[in-house]
Amino acid sequence: MRTTAPKTPPQRQAKQESGEFDRLYRDYVDLIYRYAYRLCGEAESAKDLVQETFLNAYQGLKGFRGEAQVSTWLYTIASRACIRMRRKRKGQPEYELSLEEFVPTSEGEFRLQIPMDGLSPEEALQSKELREALDQAIEKLPPKYRMALVLRDMEGLSAKEVGAIMGLNERAVKSRLHRARLFVRRELSARGITQHDDHKPGGMRP
Amino acid sequence: MTKKKTSAPKKGAGPSSHSHANDQGHCVNLLRQLSAYIDDELPSDICQEIRRHLGACPNCEVFIASLQQTVTLCRHRPAPQLTSDDRMNMRRAILNEANAR
Repeated sequence: MRTTAPKTPPQRQAKQESGEFDRLYRDYVDLIYRYAYRLCGEAESAKDLVQETFLNAYQGLKGFRGEAQVSTWLYTIASRACIRMRRKRKGQPEYELSLEEFVPTSEGEFRLQIPMDGLSPEEALQSKELREALDQAIEKLPPKYRMALVLRDMEGLSAKEVGAIMGLNERAVKSRLHRARLFVRRELSARGITQHDDHKPGGMRP
Repeated sequence: MTKKKTSAPKKGAGPSSHSHANDQGHCVNLLRQLSAYIDDELPSDICQEIRRHLGACPNCEVFIASLQQTVTLCRHRPAPQLTSDDRMNMRRAILNEANAR
């Protein structure tokens, strides 16, 4: 993405770098904020993560050779920064999810008690109760599973891209994703969503 | 007319070796593959086997529908956006911090 011009005077080089950073920030801040919000679950931590990500990107801009897509590079920086920040804050602990725990044991556990019949997902998600239930389920996930689910199912990346970002092979990504989905499904099935509110345009706020 | 020899099903030879009769083992085996099934990553013979099982096992059919709904909801969950003030303030804070280091 960047062209190194040999013998560029330091001032001009600094200006060039600042221009590159401005472009990077302008083009990707919304993408990284969306990712950060989905990982953190609330605005202030998400903004901290965005700042940390772009600060690291600013410092790493010289070393970025454009071998990866810019978005993949930034997702990777954000993911690592998120892990570091969480360690400092001693957030949600990591633990393993086993498939066996997701085998339903009673009749009521097979389905979601969510009124979605005849509704598009966008319409169903107009329900504040459903949005909250979904967000809480995702937030309850152990962080490494949440990251896989957010990158794959919410950011829409391929398993290969998620693997590159998380430093995992595709098989490991798919295994984490599968457990994460089963976890969220189980959390949702344990809650009955009855309310069907906010059914008006523009009601889709967090 | 010659009859084809039929061999007894081998134990643990994969999903196609099971016959369905409220076979809990088969349901658990299916559970392992549901995301790959939803994401269309399985070979066609295994998909066919799964579809056969779903036709015979209402609980699994409901379960897979609920997992598909979960994935759909995740895919469509909107995320909040930054205000232009937020964008500007964060940019300033990043550059201040970068220059201070």
